[in-house]
Amino acid sequence: MIRLGVRLALGGGREAWGRLALVAAGVALGVSMLLGALAGINAVNAQNARYGWLDTHTGGGASVAGMDPLWWRVSSDEFAGRVIGRVDEAATGARSPVPPGIPRLPGPGQYYASPAMAALLRSTPAAELGARYPGRLAGLIGPAALPAPDSLIVIIGRRADELAHAQGAERVTAIGTAPPSACSGDCYDIGINANGIELILSVVTAALLFPIMTFIGTATRLSAARREQRFAAMRLAGATPGQISLLAAVESGLAALAGVAAGFGLFYLGRPALARIDFTGGRFFTADLSLSAADVLLVAAGVPVAAVAAAWLALRRVGASPLAVARRVTPPAPRAWRVLPLLIGLGELAWFVHAGRPRATSGQAQAYMFGILMTMVGLVVVGPWLTGAVARPLARRTGRPAVLLAARRLADNPSSGFRAIGGLVLALFVTSVAVATITTIDAYGVGGRDRPLVRRGPAERATLIDRYQTYTPAGPRDAPAIPAGLPAELRSVPGVLGVTVVHTISPDSPDHPAIGAVTCAQLADTPALGQCPAGATTVNVGGGADWSRGGINEQRWPPAGVPVTQLERLPVQAVVVAANGPAAVERARSALRLANPDHVIPLTIAEEADRDRKLNRAYQRLANLVMLISLPVAGCGLAVGAIAGLAERGRPFSLLRLAGTPLGLLRRVVALENAVPLLAGAVVAIATGFLTAGLFLRSQLGETVRAPAASYYALVGAGLVASLLVIASTLPLLERATGPAIARND
Amino acid sequence: MSGGTGAGAGGGPLIEARHVSLSFGPTPALRGASLTVAAGEILAVMGPSGSGKSTLLHCLAGILTPDSGEIHFAGRRLDTLRENERGALRRDRFGFVFQFGQLVPELTAEENVALPLLLNGVRRARALAEARPWFDRLDLAGTQSRRSGELSGGQAQRVALARALVARPDVLFADEPTGALDSLTGENVMNLLVSEARDQGTTVILVTHAPRVAAYADREVVVRDGTVTSYEPAPAAS
Repeated sequence: MIRLGVRLALGGGREAWGRLALVAAGVALGVSMLLGALAGINAVNAQNARYGWLDTHTGGGASVAGMDPLWWRVSSDEFAGRVIGRVDEAATGARSPVPPGIPRLPGPGQYYASPAMAALLRSTPAAELGARYPGRLAGLIGPAALPAPDSLIVIIGRRADELAHAQGAERVTAIGTAPPSACSGDCYDIGINANGIELILSVVTAALLFPIMTFIGTATRLSAARREQRFAAMRLAGATPGQISLLAAVESGLAALAGVAAGFGLFYLGRPALARIDFTGGRFFTADLSLSAADVLLVAAGVPVAAVAAAWLALRRVGASPLAVARRVTPPAPRAWRVLPLLIGLGELAWFVHAGRPRATSGQAQAYMFGILMTMVGLVVVGPWLTGAVARPLARRTGRPAVLLAARRLADNPSSGFRAIGGLVLALFVTSVAVATITTIDAYGVGGRDRPLVRRGPAERATLIDRYQTYTPAGPRDAPAIPAGLPAELRSVPGVLGVTVVHTISPDSPDHPAIGAVTCAQLADTPALGQCPAGATTVNVGGGADWSRGGINEQRWPPAGVPVTQLERLPVQAVVVAANGPAAVERARSALRLANPDHVIPLTIAEEADRDRKLNRAYQRLANLVMLISLPVAGCGLAVGAIAGLAERGRPFSLLRLAGTPLGLLRRVVALENAVPLLAGAVVAIATGFLTAGLFLRSQLGETVRAPAASYYALVGAGLVASLLVIASTLPLLERATGPAIARND
Repeated sequence: MSGGTGAGAGGGPLIEARHVSLSFGPTPALRGASLTVAAGEILAVMGPSGSGKSTLLHCLAGILTPDSGEIHFAGRRLDTLRENERGALRRDRFGFVFQFGQLVPELTAEENVALPLLLNGVRRARALAEARPWFDRLDLAGTQSRRSGELSGGQAQRVALARALVARPDVLFADEPTGALDSLTGENVMNLLVSEARDQGTTVILVTHAPRVAAYADREVVVRDGTVTSYEPAPAAS
């Protein structure tokens, strides 16, 4: 019987080969995307793991007996909007631990650089970048220490007696290995700050896997109507249900196996291109996109097994009766219990608004993950019920024949109607949640309303702030003074327009942040920091957090009431430098870095705001990726569904055409039965996404969700238009599928 | 060349085919077939399988356009009309019954019957109201809300007959309407078809290869090798 199945599948002429190729191509496409999603998740984890050594000071600096301690300090630098990881180290003996990627520790006056960093140093004037790193290049850092091929990292050798007194330096006897995802505290900030990364990856995985698996399932059912007719005819000829099931299993299994093999090929062909997509803030090495043995086994065995199971399920009707495929009876409608998972998911999120969020970070991640995943499951489960609930009354009431035919079809099989768009619904939900959340956090700031959106004009991009704070056990304290001659040195840097020193007139206290004041003479040269009222000589410029607010350049500060001479004797809170362009900003940054090597790297006002948004941008990229993958999958699913629907109804439609039904009306039927669930599903997904984001933001940050920017609507609109075009692309088939020849020959 | 002629109730033919030829690729299906059908007449078109009788019916109904020859309906040239004009004619003036598979599977029997009225722009409530009496007339009471898969073969053909007649067409084209039914059910369907057509004054062109079915007609013509080779004169109008 298996041999007969193989012969039927392969020896049935062009139609059989065409059917096999069609199913295999669909499965191959789905499998390649499935492998891409699995490899992408592995790549994020692999990339994250390579950040581990940079968290040595917090994550893995455990004491190892017998090792010579290593003085170690990690800080971040900035150049032209790119973050540079800087490690200062000093060995205390021959057996000091060596970080990955370099053969030995650089000695004083030497440094190792990542390949991208070395190239940047070569192509940039020394005053803008190289001056910050003393010594000469000893070699390149290998891939084992690079999160991404284009990571900018430099490891600088220092003298132990020098580094021992540097602020932030620690003695370690082992290099850290814990990735940022294992860090729940103050982790180094050039990696993926992975608090919640599990939540994001879980949501992304679910959002990607569902549409892909649905598509694979749909692909295995391509030509199902024709196949069922053939098997029904064989039943009539005496084949037993078991024999038919075996034949179906062989046919589906063969196509799925071919598709899986081709899918692996497609994945490996597309892997280098996939590695170039930057959705975590850093590209992947091609090898990062690897598959575990479990992944390979899951896909290589799971997809054919699932295809065989799907074929078995689909043929249950044929098994029951040889005539079953020809008969259409009133199907049972989906039950109302399908609303429950959605209500549970949204109910849990709403409960946190009412009762408050869990206190622990890990508890929050788990709780929100459950709520969001349950809402996603709920959307998939409730979709057919909603489709049927809309279609049935429409079919009962409409007087338009096209609407009647489309609504009856949807009411008949709402699961089939929804299946094709299920992936798109999930993609829209995930994108809507992500975009609404990110938009709101961007608008209010990660700390809430105190950190609103920063205007990032040329002045904000060209004004550096070097914060003069000393971290003590009692908290940050402002420095007593700045190095003598620094303002004059800064003013002598080509392109620097002005220097303003911010002094503290009201020290930091538990109730009030430190309040700064400046002279109006200096403020006039750094206009991004605000303006003085007429007649004032010194003004109060608020706390450091105020300078990141939007529209500060238009702020007219109140007089401080402190004479200039008295102000200049007060502790220094910050030095603000205005420059005339990016190169001058980098030169000034280098000068500030050399003057205060222990300071946090000075950032422009715009860069400070961008750092707050870095994680959000990574999540936004993931959301866009989900959307970009789901769209073609949903489009293919829609096309397959539309074609299958046409094939099923070739004869009645062609007879309707013979009886004078205009082709345009049949086109409207096909368009409606695909477009209505698509648009209705989109509305439900977007509304549920905004509701979910709103509940999350209300309980987590106490904020109200904000409307996303126009780019979101453009992306959603483009996605829907693309899907509608896919539906429209199947309409020309209608004319051929319902021509007189179909009625005469079928 | 021979052909069938029929005298209409008003004197002139309602449908006329003049020297109609049509080939499918290299295979000729009709070779100069000529035929006239009078208004109100029930004409049986007989012939063996592959003789061209269904092709002739499709040409008369404006479904196929002949390669040569002319088709006239109610004094109007049919074969030179554009497809959308012929489609409108089929929808507004003609009804069709085929051998099987003509009901839209998703629709209920009642909606299937009302479909031609809906297609003609009749409001739903009125269309369904006009469709309902046909269920009693054709002995289909109780099947209104069933789908095609829940109807027997005879019931499905009667629903199809109701759908073909509900818009009161001038001509009913029936292509082997009992071909998929047993003889008893077939006779039942034919009795209903003929009586309803006569009640409405509808002209019927009935393609069949079964003499028992053809016996319901006023007149028979035989198609052989693509030509109309013989005919019986129409019975006197009662």
